[in-house]
Amino acid sequence: MPKNTMQKITFILNNENIFADVKPNSTLLDFIRKKERLTGTKEVCKEGDCGACSVLIGELENGIVRYKNVTSCIYPIANAEGKHVVTIEGLNQNSLNKIQEFYVGENAAQCGFCTPGFIVSTAEYFLNNNERNVEKVYDSISGNICRCTGYGSIKRAAEKLVADVPEAPEDYGERLKFLIEKKIIPEYFLSIKDKLQNILQTKKIDADGAKGKTIVAGGTDLFVQRADEMLNEEGYFVKNFAKKFISEENGSVILSGATTFEDFFNSEIIKTAIPNIHKAFKLIASQAVRNSATLAGNIVNASPIGDMTIILLALNAKLILKGKREREIALKDFYLDYKKVDKANDEIIEKIIFEKPGRGFRFNFEKVSKRTHLDIASVNTAFAAFADDGIIRSATLSAGGIAPIPKVLEEATEFLSGKEINNALLNEVVEIANSVISPISDVRGSADYKRLLLGQLIKAHFIELFSDRLNVGEAI
Amino acid sequence: MSDKIVKSKFFFEEDFIETIGEVSSKEYKSLPPNKKLKYVGKPLNRKDAPVKASGKAKFTFDIELPHMVYARTLRSPHPNAIIKDIDTLHARQVPGVFAILHTFNMSAFNGGKIEWYGNSFLFDPHVRYVGDEIACVAAKDEETAERALKLIDVKYEILDYEIDAKKSMNSKLKIHPDGNVRRGKPFEYERGSVKDGFDEADEIIEDEFSTQVAVHNPTEPHCSVADWNKDKLTIYDSTQAVFRVRNMIADALDTPKDSVRIIKEYMGGGFGGKLEAGKYSVMAALLAKKLKRPVKILNDRREQNIALGNRPDSVQKLKIGVKTDGTITALNHYAYAAIGAYPSGGGCSWPLRTLYKCDNVRTEEYSVYTNAGRARAFRAPGNVQGTFGLESLLDEAAEKIGMDPLEFRVKNFVDFDQVGGKPYTSKMLIEAYKIGAKKIGWENRNKIPGGGKGYVKRGVGMASQIWWGGGGPPAHVRLELDSNGKIVAFAGSQDLGTGTYTFVAQVIGEILEIAPDNIDVVLGDTDRVPYGPSSGGSTTAPSISPAARDAAERMKEKLISNAAALWNVESENVGFENGTVFMKNDKSKKLSAKDIVAQLDDKKISALGSREANPDGYSVQTFGAQFAEVEVDTLTGNVRVLKVVAVHDVGRILNGKTLENQFHGGIIMGIGFALTEEQIRDEYTGKILNDNFHDYKVPTIKETPEIEVFILGEGDMKANNMGVKGIGEPAMIPTPAAIANAVYNAIGKRIKSLPITPDKIITALYDEA
Repeated sequence: MPKNTMQKITFILNNENIFADVKPNSTLLDFIRKKERLTGTKEVCKEGDCGACSVLIGELENGIVRYKNVTSCIYPIANAEGKHVVTIEGLNQNSLNKIQEFYVGENAAQCGFCTPGFIVSTAEYFLNNNERNVEKVYDSISGNICRCTGYGSIKRAAEKLVADVPEAPEDYGERLKFLIEKKIIPEYFLSIKDKLQNILQTKKIDADGAKGKTIVAGGTDLFVQRADEMLNEEGYFVKNFAKKFISEENGSVILSGATTFEDFFNSEIIKTAIPNIHKAFKLIASQAVRNSATLAGNIVNASPIGDMTIILLALNAKLILKGKREREIALKDFYLDYKKVDKANDEIIEKIIFEKPGRGFRFNFEKVSKRTHLDIASVNTAFAAFADDGIIRSATLSAGGIAPIPKVLEEATEFLSGKEINNALLNEVVEIANSVISPISDVRGSADYKRLLLGQLIKAHFIELFSDRLNVGEAI
Repeated sequence: MSDKIVKSKFFFEEDFIETIGEVSSKEYKSLPPNKKLKYVGKPLNRKDAPVKASGKAKFTFDIELPHMVYARTLRSPHPNAIIKDIDTLHARQVPGVFAILHTFNMSAFNGGKIEWYGNSFLFDPHVRYVGDEIACVAAKDEETAERALKLIDVKYEILDYEIDAKKSMNSKLKIHPDGNVRRGKPFEYERGSVKDGFDEADEIIEDEFSTQVAVHNPTEPHCSVADWNKDKLTIYDSTQAVFRVRNMIADALDTPKDSVRIIKEYMGGGFGGKLEAGKYSVMAALLAKKLKRPVKILNDRREQNIALGNRPDSVQKLKIGVKTDGTITALNHYAYAAIGAYPSGGGCSWPLRTLYKCDNVRTEEYSVYTNAGRARAFRAPGNVQGTFGLESLLDEAAEKIGMDPLEFRVKNFVDFDQVGGKPYTSKMLIEAYKIGAKKIGWENRNKIPGGGKGYVKRGVGMASQIWWGGGGPPAHVRLELDSNGKIVAFAGSQDLGTGTYTFVAQVIGEILEIAPDNIDVVLGDTDRVPYGPSSGGSTTAPSISPAARDAAERMKEKLISNAAALWNVESENVGFENGTVFMKNDKSKKLSAKDIVAQLDDKKISALGSREANPDGYSVQTFGAQFAEVEVDTLTGNVRVLKVVAVHDVGRILNGKTLENQFHGGIIMGIGFALTEEQIRDEYTGKILNDNFHDYKVPTIKETPEIEVFILGEGDMKANNMGVKGIGEPAMIPTPAAIANAVYNAIGKRIKSLPITPDKIITALYDEA
């Protein structure tokens, strides 16, 4: 029989305070649909891959409630503690709201099953963008799958919305008022801040350690892999305790393990430190998943093709683990074997640190998957190099999908140091990389193909970063 | 009324079906072109958009009834096995479990034979694929039902299995007693003599093409809610076919058809996968009867992928004979497909038999049983696969004789149905080629395939399409006008999301000169709407819209004759304008529809309209051509579709907005089939390796290209009184073939198996061995 793992939880659902006893590892979606019977939020894939279950999560940060969209089907309800959860019903007004008006007018609802999810994700765009840019709307809805419309009418609804709604104030609080005035969100949003403050004041979080519990961060992989088992397990919900930060100290970039993908890519520190990182951003997950998924989660999950892990490996990142005591380990040494990491059960990745690169630094990330967007890589690879005068001073090449663990290709890395950039070098490094990998055949491709592909992607790195030093035609 | 009964034969999804039904024999004035009409053809908003955009629309998936019980299904983990024993003791002990059905406790239920599953049983003791139904648990909630499923102990005798069509054809292992080729033999067709045709040819080109298994994956999974009230069973079902489901459920339960009511108000997509009753619906009905409580049965995404239908794969060997002047002298098609463990269709030769002029044609198609999930109709079943093979081969032939692929197609244009011998009501393919070529920039394509500069190479390709899409009787619409002047249309149909609610109101509004907003439309309820066809085969609009017109015209006549009677004049003296009748010689004498009803004892007027018979001596088909421009990254193998131009002869446009969605949706689904969607079956276990959205990749908004859609003509007025043909399937058929031809034009290597994934591109370019 399952253990009794019920836990009290307090949050705001739309305009209503919720005090409930829940299984902390049950999903927010099940609570919304099955307990509250709010059926506008749909269940389609139950893996965070379609956005039909999208909701907004409002979180109080420095006196402001900031909203983001998440997929509620893989969102552990414990993570909703002290937050504002908004479903389609919480966006409805007396008549159609502005977003709905344009979706209706452009025929952007066909069968209609996915439509509430699209509306919620579109609302997220308006909450987090004061400037008008339709590409940003597409980013917000990039994790929403529609099987009927072909997206044409949805795109047009987005275009017309962006043309219709003027730029909003930059100040978040002022922006909320503006969005209420424009009929994008309902008026009660203004009262949420005080309500959340009250909840957070009365609530004392009891952090009695991770021992014996399942450590849950964003849950975006855990709830895909083993949601059923999780249901009756006790959870240690990192996000309820861990601080989120990205900072610079003594020439190093320091990230908390709880940093979400979205925070990582939006960070000015990261954008400045890693040129070209925006290119990777477009190839990794959907916005809704990036809003939940954490760096530590990606690292600990130990997938041989974890995108963020591959990026951090190329940056020679170190981890600070915290259990009974604190210790440091290089990320590349963290992986022991397939899905085995050097970590005790109660240890948590507190920080991720890499040296802030200086002059002459170049970075590139490549990934090939069956579907270009929102897919898992067949092979992914990152390349970080310091180069000047046509010479590679030092470099790190990482790759996933070519071994049981995500890997730094050390032989290739060492070989490159001090070499002149030219076609011969490229051919040699491809050959070296090929000699040290051991891909297997699976649903993402055959071993031979992955071998061939890694070579192609190393060429892509060089063409992206050093095309002026290569005969590109010959390189291909 | 001089209506009559006709037997009509038309192609419905996978087979020709014959139906008997009453048709309207009224003849109406030809409906003018859309630009002279007020509502038909106008891009009006969907009637159901507001409830959908606000999440208020109740789908079957959302239905909750008082005291409802939840059911889940135990499915076979083995591809082929005999069930020896089922022990449910531990499952029954779970608190909140109410009932468990399985093969050994079904004696109460009339044998439990399911005719449409090849007369196997509801829970067959022989499970034939990974996903076959073994047991069903009803419990207080889904979580409890799922927990109980895991505690059911099943003993199996595990058998060898076969998931590959070719191996299954020649295997000693019998999946069905009558052999593994369905009906014991291939479907064969021949006209003329292919031998003579190939003898005449200057060039003969032979090649082999294959397509993958694809899954419908509608957003709403298959689900039912069953509820008994005394001897009457109501099933809320996510279905494209309320009447067909009613009849099948009644047959399965051996109960009269009118004791079953099927309701479907909104559904989250179907694409052909929801055209019949599910075993799950029968289970829900049985459990609901046993427990005397409503039962909801859901299928999750995994079940959707493994057990609820797929587009079968195809292996196609094609051979074409051509003369150097471009004349096609012979065509030969040999194809086989894995249809799964239960009866279904896997043929794909129709386009080759009909699309281009050729006197000598032979086709041979095998539908092969395998130990896999059953194939179901999926958006233009057969034609998507067959068009990819045919149109790839045509491009190869054109290249061989040094002819432009478009010119080659024009050269082999034919204006009559070569199988049935009848002329087409309309076939505007030549016009489609002209417009499409201009819009895509056909003259700018690579003259030498693969000849573009740089490592990101562009290419342009095209393909043509044929699909029935003519609809037919029986299909009825009943109009009721009440004393408030309110019109309600009860249409024998259901809306998959394609826009049926909206176009029915537009047609009636047009004839009765009433704003469609003021017409309520009721669909998808077998007890409330008159009989009509299933929504499949792109037949809904061409079947229902003429019936809606007939109903509205009859309503108009009734208003006129009632007014004439009230005024004591002959009907000829009464006119109709803006929804109002008037005396022709004294226009000040007027009666609104409401005024007329108010003076009748019945306080309402009803009018039943019916679809007329299809025209004698003609073949009604849809045609079209699509042009695609693609970009292939030869470094990574990524293919990006930049633009698709679709030009089609699909009759009159009923609503520009719903039409646009249908086309974009079909094209995007075609892009999915061309590039990313593929069910992967593991030969070592018989299991599906990608039974979820994580690994089964449907296109996202980021994969959408620029799309331009052009509809030819003002309406196919020879086809029916509205000039309407279907569009749902034509929109998808040529897309994968056009993309494949564009990829060839880009890189100079032909990818002969779909989907065109990066590995195939890279391997073709760099790994010749």
